[in-house]
Amino acid sequence: MPGSLLMIILYLAVAVFVVGLIKRGLKIAKLPIHLRWELSPVPHEKGKASYGGSYLEEFEWWTKPREKSLLNEFWYMFLEIIFLKGVWENNRRMWYFSFPFHFGGLYLVVVAVALFKLSAFIGFTGTNTSAIASLAIGVSVIAYGLGAFGVIGLCIQRLTDPVLKPFTTPSHIINLVFLGSIYVSGLAAIFSISNYAAQMTGFIQGMVTFSPPALPGIMGLHVILASAFLIYLPFTYMMHFVAKYFTYHEIRWNDTPMPGNDKMEKEVGELLSQSPTWSAPHLKADGKKTWVDIATEEMDK
Amino acid sequence: MKKSQKIEDFGKNPEQPLTEVKLEDLPPLPPPYDKLEEQPTWKEIPEEKKKDMACNLDGFVGLSLPKPASAEEEKELVDKFVSGLQKLLTKENNWGFLQPLSLTLEYCAKCQTCNDSCPVYTESGKNDVYRPTYRAEIWRRLVYKYAKKSHPLMTKFKHGDIDLNWTTISRLYELAYRCTMCRRCAQACPMGVDNALVTHELRKMFSQELGWAPSELHEKGTVQQLKVGSSTGMSPLVVKDNMEFVDEDFSELSGLDANSKWDVEGADVLMLHNAGEIMAWPENPAAFAIIMNAAGVNWTLSSESPGYDGVNYGLFYDDFQLARIALKHAATAKKLKVKKVLMGECGHQHKAMMTISDRILIGDMNVRKESCIPFLEEIVFSGKIKLDPSKNDFPVTLHDPCNITRNLGIIEPQRRILRHICPQFREMTPHGVENYCCGGGSGFAIMSGNNFADWRISLSGRKKFRQIINAFQDKPGPETKKYVCAPCSNCKGQIRDILEYYDAKEKSNLIYGGLVELIVNAMVDIKEPFIKWDE
Repeated sequence: MPGSLLMIILYLAVAVFVVGLIKRGLKIAKLPIHLRWELSPVPHEKGKASYGGSYLEEFEWWTKPREKSLLNEFWYMFLEIIFLKGVWENNRRMWYFSFPFHFGGLYLVVVAVALFKLSAFIGFTGTNTSAIASLAIGVSVIAYGLGAFGVIGLCIQRLTDPVLKPFTTPSHIINLVFLGSIYVSGLAAIFSISNYAAQMTGFIQGMVTFSPPALPGIMGLHVILASAFLIYLPFTYMMHFVAKYFTYHEIRWNDTPMPGNDKMEKEVGELLSQSPTWSAPHLKADGKKTWVDIATEEMDK
Repeated sequence: MKKSQKIEDFGKNPEQPLTEVKLEDLPPLPPPYDKLEEQPTWKEIPEEKKKDMACNLDGFVGLSLPKPASAEEEKELVDKFVSGLQKLLTKENNWGFLQPLSLTLEYCAKCQTCNDSCPVYTESGKNDVYRPTYRAEIWRRLVYKYAKKSHPLMTKFKHGDIDLNWTTISRLYELAYRCTMCRRCAQACPMGVDNALVTHELRKMFSQELGWAPSELHEKGTVQQLKVGSSTGMSPLVVKDNMEFVDEDFSELSGLDANSKWDVEGADVLMLHNAGEIMAWPENPAAFAIIMNAAGVNWTLSSESPGYDGVNYGLFYDDFQLARIALKHAATAKKLKVKKVLMGECGHQHKAMMTISDRILIGDMNVRKESCIPFLEEIVFSGKIKLDPSKNDFPVTLHDPCNITRNLGIIEPQRRILRHICPQFREMTPHGVENYCCGGGSGFAIMSGNNFADWRISLSGRKKFRQIINAFQDKPGPETKKYVCAPCSNCKGQIRDILEYYDAKEKSNLIYGGLVELIVNAMVDIKEPFIKWDE
């Protein structure tokens, strides 16, 4: 398959993905400040997080210094992201497939890509990088193998488990099959092309110098499928890795009190001056009265 | 194997209940409550009533929603419903919850990881309709198909299908009152999605757009509180009068100073009770008065409407009603120039005032607010009152109100107190931040219309009753007095109803009460035991 065509597709895919990622993140970040809706345990509560306690346990809490531990937050998210701790604790049956899918099919794939890139960049210096490339191949095989195992298991669960089936839509299956096709084509390419590592390294170097070599058909197909997935991804809920930052840090763990926070007060003041349009008779929200007007008016006697 | 409930069927078969709940499907309770024939039977809805009101969800009716009189009326309701769905997702109408709601809308993986954390679902014998995801999934599909108006094929591909008609709306309204919003499901969600928030937002949409809310929460709740001063119906004059009796009775009974103080300007503490305590459990405000007087606290009650009733049912169904009451509470504190407002033993009051309204009250309206629990801990361990734990030498377990523990993270101070004053204190399993709701949360404890009380007690309260019984496994019989400490008015109301329903006083010698009652009961100077077992 022509290398230049694959290069254009791949660069386009990465661009779409990056733009999509930024747009998703900004869309969520731009949403207005919300009312407090924290949920214990809040891991940054130093000395209290282990049992779910918060600073509100303190007598006259506003007179005490807030002691926060970012390390606790990091550790919590590390276990959650890498090992899917929540699924392990609450949905063990799904974890057996979801963990290999996430750990292999996503994280190890990222590691394998990084290793191939490392091999390519060091290769520019003329150093022999065959050891790194071999490691990348090994990681890729494990990644694709685990990913394929996870995808097959999740597909079967989604289609047969009476708990999951009513909630399964065609997109769930298409997403899994799409990912599965990347893993299978990757494995097929690795096992059918004897110098896969060298070809991949050369292709990445060619991407940098804008003169990529042609790739064998199956390898080209693998690159095209992976690129197509990168383009598709920003339009799906699979971008939940972006959302997860906000659901945890900005909602569950956002316990910042308002008194003394001038920036927050200003923002809330502006939000309260908006005019809602709810139709219920006890509100009489006509689109002119503000939140403050409605909240401070006396109800009809 | 049970047939699973299809989401697409939600708007079909308008005259039939979507599902049926049978007593024999529920997991059996521990002995001596395990005999089905000894359990109260559930009230049937009379056929006459079914003709006029929606009874199409699960055979239980909490809301008495009248059926539309004509096709035009139905169409109007459907249009309003769609506009309500849209308003939930706009900044000007729902800024306070827009971010969490949008994330919950878009990022649920439909993995069902949250299901088994829900006590209503598990104790129903795993009825699909009570899954935390079921209600949320109906809402998501309705939003994508009718409110966002994406291409129908794309909607079906990505989100699945659903019909929208009167049946859908009436069932969803009733279903919004089958979740106690305890947020255990949110805790379990690896994505950080909050399906309990969907319940909250649906209730809000019904109230703020269609004007629908349970009369116990709206007309008899927030509206009455804003008009008269209290959801109990007590005016300022009546509350002072009633408290005078409470002061007198408990001063005499205890031999200690149980007198309340009213409208003391510049007091250190404005005590804000759930006024239901004064009517149903007067020993609770009396115990607070005894402790604070004995500890020399400069405190006061307010007689200004509604500054003597910390209830704020707006939390459960309507943001504007919540804000109206929160503002009045704040204004009371500001007027009295108190240093802080102290939350009484009322969970939802804690959440409404300490966290939710924290980002509504601007400037000097945001008076410092404190939970009574760390406040009591400070007194208990300060040595200002003398305590004799041997007076509480009976088995005691602690119920954790969701709003105080899971939502505010106040877990240990109440335990430190109980470990100090109750030699036989034991935990429920699980407890603390993993507690189970009493089953009366989100306003259910005061809702008993039609046959809703049967559902509330035998289904949503089932897990709590099981936990209580199991906590006293070592001394199950009536020969041992046992105390369930529930520092929350709504939880106490629910636990009272559960214990009565199963005749647990008789069979297990179980009584319930608050935390302050145990503290006063342990006071060295008290004339006679404060906790009475035979009333």
